[in-house]
Amino acid sequence: MKPSKCNLSIACMIALVAIILTLPGQLAGQTEAAKSYSNGTPATRWSVQVDRVDPGTLELAYSFQIAIYENLIEKLKKTKQFQQVFRDGDLKASEVPNLLMLKTTVEKYTPGSETRRAVTTVSGATKLTVRSQLLTREGEVVLERTVNGDVRFFGSNLRATQNLARNIAKTIKQSPVSGSGQPTAVLTGQL
Amino acid sequence: MVALICCGLTAAAQNSIQQKTSKAFSTRATHLLGFANTKSDCSGTLSIEDDSLQFQQTGKPGAKVKIASVGDVFLGAESKQVGGLPMTLGKTAAPFGGGRVVSLFAHKKYDTLTLEYVDADEGIHGAIFQLTKGQGEVVRNELIARGVAISSHPGQLTKESATEARHETK
Repeated sequence: MKPSKCNLSIACMIALVAIILTLPGQLAGQTEAAKSYSNGTPATRWSVQVDRVDPGTLELAYSFQIAIYENLIEKLKKTKQFQQVFRDGDLKASEVPNLLMLKTTVEKYTPGSETRRAVTTVSGATKLTVRSQLLTREGEVVLERTVNGDVRFFGSNLRATQNLARNIAKTIKQSPVSGSGQPTAVLTGQL
Repeated sequence: MVALICCGLTAAAQNSIQQKTSKAFSTRATHLLGFANTKSDCSGTLSIEDDSLQFQQTGKPGAKVKIASVGDVFLGAESKQVGGLPMTLGKTAAPFGGGRVVSLFAHKKYDTLTLEYVDADEGIHGAIFQLTKGQGEVVRNELIARGVAISSHPGQLTKESATEARHETK
């Protein structure tokens, strides 16, 4: 009789542990579901169209403009925050209902030198400062941030554009507009 | 008789021009970013054949773009440290700042060729290639010879190169 009692208590313990482990997951799932169906309809996911980089009044090399644009598209796709990421001029973008436009304007550019960085360590940094704006089709600004990107030690000058694009993607990811729901508040700030 | 000879000479000249234009062109290049279905920072062969621009990574199938879809070509100049990561690590490890002295001489000038082209959905793409100094101009001229219309101001190319080079030599 003793062994069967022991088996029963072990089975009870296992069942208890299983319940404890499953319960938080179920609760979290319910919360997520409740969030995404808050108005009785599934929350909308936004798509984004990346516009070409506007150099403003600065003499920014065309390779830098293209590098920022291409890196931005790549980094935004990687974040998976948007349903679709469109390029500038893409005809398919006009068919998408929830579309935001990402405009990038260069505000400051400090050209650097890889050789100077390698020789002196402290000088020769390439620095970029841009203003990023997320706009609706109607032209309403839903997010506006000033973002920096630079290369200080190792790597080519174009690596500054990679860092800049990563920072822009990070900023957008942290903002509420990239997630579900209607972007309402205008967010401004600097990263 | 004279008219016949003239016609014959003109036809021969036109034929040679056509042959020259349609002749395949290729050069070694490093793809930095943006070209369709190609890994970033890889070396290979950039070639122009018939109506397409192709980049073939060493030992892999090439990626093509129609020359007609290329909207703009820009040239730039850049100076880069040679040797990559192993050289950088070696220079860092060198005692008494010896690595810095090496860095002073271990750099090379390159041409950067920036292309802008559109895909089937009219979406704008950009691609940047790094070529041996002097080759950028050759590729650009080849593309112009095959009908690529450069919308930018011609002076902008030299200005861009000069600006970058000036900052590099500082």
